[in-house]
Amino acid sequence: MKLYLYGIIDSSNQIKESIYGLKGAGVYNIPFCDIGVVVSEINQPMQKVTEGTVLEHEAVVENLMADFTVLPVRFQTLIEGRDNLLSTMQSYYRDFKDNLERLRDKFEFGIKVIWPADKIKENIIKTLNKEQQKKLKLGSSPSNKFMKDKFDKYKIDKEFEAKADKFIKVMDIFFSKFAAEKRIEKLKTENLLLDAVYLVEKDKESNFREAFEHIKSTRSDFKYLFSGPWPAYNFVVFSKQSGLLTDSQQIDLLNKVTQDQMLVGADSI
Amino acid sequence: MNSVVVKSKEVTLLEILDRVLDKGVVISGDMVISVADVDLIYLGLKVLLSSVETIEKLRGSPFVGPMQEAR
Repeated sequence: MKLYLYGIIDSSNQIKESIYGLKGAGVYNIPFCDIGVVVSEINQPMQKVTEGTVLEHEAVVENLMADFTVLPVRFQTLIEGRDNLLSTMQSYYRDFKDNLERLRDKFEFGIKVIWPADKIKENIIKTLNKEQQKKLKLGSSPSNKFMKDKFDKYKIDKEFEAKADKFIKVMDIFFSKFAAEKRIEKLKTENLLLDAVYLVEKDKESNFREAFEHIKSTRSDFKYLFSGPWPAYNFVVFSKQSGLLTDSQQIDLLNKVTQDQMLVGADSI
Repeated sequence: MNSVVVKSKEVTLLEILDRVLDKGVVISGDMVISVADVDLIYLGLKVLLSSVETIEKLRGSPFVGPMQEAR
């Protein structure tokens, strides 16, 4: 019997609400000390990734998010048997615990901003041309033309990046005001000006949304995508040591695991 | 209005796929899908996600107005 993992939660209690996961299997919490790992049981080998299975997985994680702090586990993670799972929990306990503490009462929001790259470049070229007209003209030999084209492209690209930096800086000032952490990517493509995720405390969600609406209203020629709240998919951080415990720490930890906890799910696995 | 809703759903799905397939805690379990498959899936998703505007062009409809996902 394999266990399919959905998420690590900040509770060792059983889930009150009935939740069904992949293939309609019942979802339950296997406690480890004061945290737990939410699983369902699976007999057959996993089939191909489909939209349906991804949505089933996500639905479980979102259900958990309503009541717990959740560290979402990567899709299609299976562990053979309960003992292996507890061993894994033991190895990563410190990291799980640290992340759960850090991410408590916080949600992730995604923001994508698409700008009209073609128009931005057109404007840059127009401005540069005006500036060049004021300057002395270079000779029209092929080598001069080649050098001029190269230099123009360099200036356009540089100005394009500078404009992107400027816009992102302004947006980020507004968003960061209400965010605990962020991950920002600039110009993944020429049109995708900003692809960012922000970690926001629950009680600052409305402020964060207002900041987004404000930014959206200032540049209506840009396109915006706002998504969330999500569990903190992008903000789970593991220590370089993988959180492995020393022998004495492992013994201490195992002593905290109660007999009752050791037996959860043991009848079927 | 309907097309905007459809687009929102599509984008939401892409956001979900990006997170569920590409993010989340990776622990030493028994990963079922092969490495090659995973890479292909991830690559495909990243291309899709970074080219939302391209999808709109392919659909033959303009990318109408700012979008917001209410979830």
